[in-house]
Amino acid sequence: MRSKLFLPLVAAICLSISASANAQSYAITNAKIVTVSGTTIEKGTVIVRNGLIFAVGANIRTPADATVLDAGGATVYPGFIDTVTNLGIVAPQAGPGGGPGGGGGGGQAAAAAAAAAAQPSSNSNYPAGLRPELMIEEVLRGGDAQFEASRNAGFTSALSTGRTGIFSGQSAVINLAGDSVSSLVIRSPFAQHISFVTLGGGGYPGSLLGTFSALRQIFNDARRLQENQRAYAADPKGMQRPGADKSLEALFPALNRQMPVVFSANSEIEIIRALDFMKEYNLNGIIAGGLEAGRVADRLKAQSVPVLLSLNFPKRLTASSPDADPEPLAVLRSRAEVPKGAAKLSAAGVKFAFQSGGATAMTDYFANAGKAIENGLSRDAAIRAMTLGAAEILGVDKTLGSIEAGKVANLVVIKGDLFGRDKFASHVFVDGRHFEQKEPVRPAGGRGPGGQGGGPGATPPTPAGPSMGGTYTITIDVPGQPIQATLNLAQAGTTMTGTMVSQLGSSQITNGRATANGFSFTTSVQFGGASIDISVTATVSGNQVSGTVDSPQGPVQFSGTKNP
Amino acid sequence: MRRTTVFLTIISLLVISPSLVFGQSKGDLLIKNATVMTATAGTLQATDILVQNGKIVRIGKGLTAGAGVKTIDATGKFVTPGIIDAHSHTMLSAINEGSLAVTSMTRTRDMLLPQDVAIYRALAGGVTASLLLHGSANPIGGQSTTVKYKYGRPVEEFPVEGAPLGIKFALGENVKQSSRSPQPGQTFRYPRTRMGTMEVIRDAFIRAREYKQSWDDFRAKKTRTQPRKDEELEPLVEILEGKRRVHAHGYRSDEHLNLLRMAEEFGFKIGTLQHGLEAYKIAPEIAKHGAGVSIFADSWSYKLEAYDSIPYTGYILWKNGVNVSINSDSNERMRRLNIDAAKMMKYGGVPEQDALKMITINPAMQLGIEKRTGSIEVGKDGDLVIWSAHPFSVYATADVTIIEGEVYFDRAKDRSMRTDLAKERETLEKLDMNRAPGTGGAPPRVPTERLRGDLDDADRDGGNR
Repeated sequence: MRSKLFLPLVAAICLSISASANAQSYAITNAKIVTVSGTTIEKGTVIVRNGLIFAVGANIRTPADATVLDAGGATVYPGFIDTVTNLGIVAPQAGPGGGPGGGGGGGQAAAAAAAAAAQPSSNSNYPAGLRPELMIEEVLRGGDAQFEASRNAGFTSALSTGRTGIFSGQSAVINLAGDSVSSLVIRSPFAQHISFVTLGGGGYPGSLLGTFSALRQIFNDARRLQENQRAYAADPKGMQRPGADKSLEALFPALNRQMPVVFSANSEIEIIRALDFMKEYNLNGIIAGGLEAGRVADRLKAQSVPVLLSLNFPKRLTASSPDADPEPLAVLRSRAEVPKGAAKLSAAGVKFAFQSGGATAMTDYFANAGKAIENGLSRDAAIRAMTLGAAEILGVDKTLGSIEAGKVANLVVIKGDLFGRDKFASHVFVDGRHFEQKEPVRPAGGRGPGGQGGGPGATPPTPAGPSMGGTYTITIDVPGQPIQATLNLAQAGTTMTGTMVSQLGSSQITNGRATANGFSFTTSVQFGGASIDISVTATVSGNQVSGTVDSPQGPVQFSGTKNP
Repeated sequence: MRRTTVFLTIISLLVISPSLVFGQSKGDLLIKNATVMTATAGTLQATDILVQNGKIVRIGKGLTAGAGVKTIDATGKFVTPGIIDAHSHTMLSAINEGSLAVTSMTRTRDMLLPQDVAIYRALAGGVTASLLLHGSANPIGGQSTTVKYKYGRPVEEFPVEGAPLGIKFALGENVKQSSRSPQPGQTFRYPRTRMGTMEVIRDAFIRAREYKQSWDDFRAKKTRTQPRKDEELEPLVEILEGKRRVHAHGYRSDEHLNLLRMAEEFGFKIGTLQHGLEAYKIAPEIAKHGAGVSIFADSWSYKLEAYDSIPYTGYILWKNGVNVSINSDSNERMRRLNIDAAKMMKYGGVPEQDALKMITINPAMQLGIEKRTGSIEVGKDGDLVIWSAHPFSVYATADVTIIEGEVYFDRAKDRSMRTDLAKERETLEKLDMNRAPGTGGAPPRVPTERLRGDLDDADRDGGNR
């Protein structure tokens, strides 16, 4: 027994000489350990070595070479897994359009050119957005900084897929630290991802009707190509050469049930449509989003379809006004029902895992998981849906999702109640690499020493320039029908995330970028029954904001204020 | 242990019971002492109708039902078959795929939206079934769905089982004008003229013939290369084989006549001419071809293309032996099809029963569901409407609307429901997620949109196409 322990220790020490960062060993002591796979250890130690969990238990001796981290009674969880994100993906350049002196007559052509530039060039027979061969792994980039916000919230892994298109890219399970793509990727490809959206630009499919028939045709064609290729391989004589088609061939694993197909579907009817489609083509399906999945829990169970359940619970975003239509009862009911969804899935025996659902603030993730618990989900089931349950659906449960010796050292030390307001991730381990987060000083009054950054003009543009995050109220000067909108933006590095809310609805922004004196993003809005892609470029000066909204209909100006 | 078993049984009953109530079980119902307008066998005074297991089993006097069967006293009231609307875009998430000239690959079945409140409003106007059509943006549109308005039921229960397949065609201005506003950098969509429209249809059928041949060859083992399973051409082959009915939108008689001739050339029959505002000009030709016509009761000259339409279209077609139905093409007008039928009595003097037929058995025949519904006959589905007065009176309201023996609309219940819904709303609006944000927040919808939605024109053909 002793020698068994000793040998790996020696091996570990030898390895550590080759000095890769994750070869360092750590002992997290004096911790409550929620292993998820086994019983919770009220007070114990987790040893991290060579990027793996070396040992876990109540009576573990701390190795002499280990850096000791006294958790002071805080809780160690397996690192959380966000099961649908766009993390690690290089954002396509948002086309500001117009060029010098922009906003002139060339606006429409510029918008079209920008839209074309945003689509990667391809020799596929299919238009951008209908290309199942797109691999997210190919558009990932390495680097730790981009994951900081998620990691600081306790996330160590994520499923990453694209933001746009009917096929948004074959997803990859990644760890949220690593200098190179190869060090990030845990499993790739994981699944095809399908969204019931239309393709912009006036082409087919231009409506949801067409989206479904285009999907059917591409699956039909893939099935036929596979059968013809097989027949041809067996005996090519007298048979037309079936040829190669990388788009169709990318669907073979999905048709053969070797690769899951994740359908983005939030409303009850979208989920039903996705379930029908899975049945029609005998797909190994997964639902992503699933805000109303509780309503179809029985069918999900019957078809054995797991759910990557969004914790971005909907809430009313419009101001109240005596002149306005009351909100439809169906909307009010749906919002009230959403927090009960997880408990319903759990009761029905549907496998599910949580995802952030494009939420801009990860605090919402935990607060809403807390709401799911208030609405009947057990605490253990909630934790499982962030850890081992997620790893199981993503097919990485042999290495991730629980605290067991031999698994990847993805860990998080949480001070305070995980679902409470004072929750804080003090230490995060990704592949055994240690990230420490200093507890924020609760502001007594002012905003602390960061204040001077906000001064007008004086500071040169640096990555840590004035924050472009915040809430903006703007008026878009559409001729004859000015549109009021609210931008709720958050900034992390040079990346902007958030929502744009107007009478045209609420939409997540994409390709958000902060610059020294403003920001830009793209999004799509529903107008006249169609989805229209717009590109927003803004200049911020003090609390004033102005800029251009570019769309296929041409550019229009907007202006407004940043709310204090 | 025993206690747990009992408890579990109760729980499982609670879980299962909604499916017992709302599932496939068909209703039993007895309607007493009504004036029954059968639509096919005259009007019967002081008559009872017994529905069992969803079907009408007896029509007569002094009928009784088993204990526990819901009985409605309809003394002083009128009963008609459920109204059938042969042209509707209700309960669809999307109506037009306008990007291509031929979109036969699209299916309205994919777009069903069972929560659409317009369904409930249709029931309140006595409508029980509809033909849900693709829009009129292209010469060959998408596949249609025949539904019964089983509001509150799961989506898969709406389509009428065994109803013939259908598809939308369109001719004239809507097709032409759908080509006119391309996105930047995009070419105009062909066709942009009426002659182009006919060419597109002809070309599609030629392609469909070749497609069918390629499969015939493969099945006869003349080739080992499996042809494409083509979502666009399969439905066109079904038309050629007489398995799918064409419902062709058009206003002018010349183009409808052209279409009838083309169908005859390809060896199939057109199911219905939709709208047919000039159909009276070619009534004998339509009768000879055997197509039905589904018209608006009015809307004469409401746009240039409709300039030659007259109030007597329905009458003239009827007189020529054409199967005529009156459709709404509108969520708003759908609720008053009984009054639209009454107009046929005013303009030309269509007899009462024949006018009633135009919103019941005639559309049922056009949809191919006449063996199941569309009249009050023993053996048919119990799709019934109890009216407060003669249904052709402007004072009449649909009091109870019944599908397969089950009540889907009950005016008395609706009144009490309003109080409950108001209470529910009050509770829901107090919840955090439903409260307006304290500061900021987007401005709510402007009332101008609401007003625009109330205008008839925006909601009719052209606006809702």
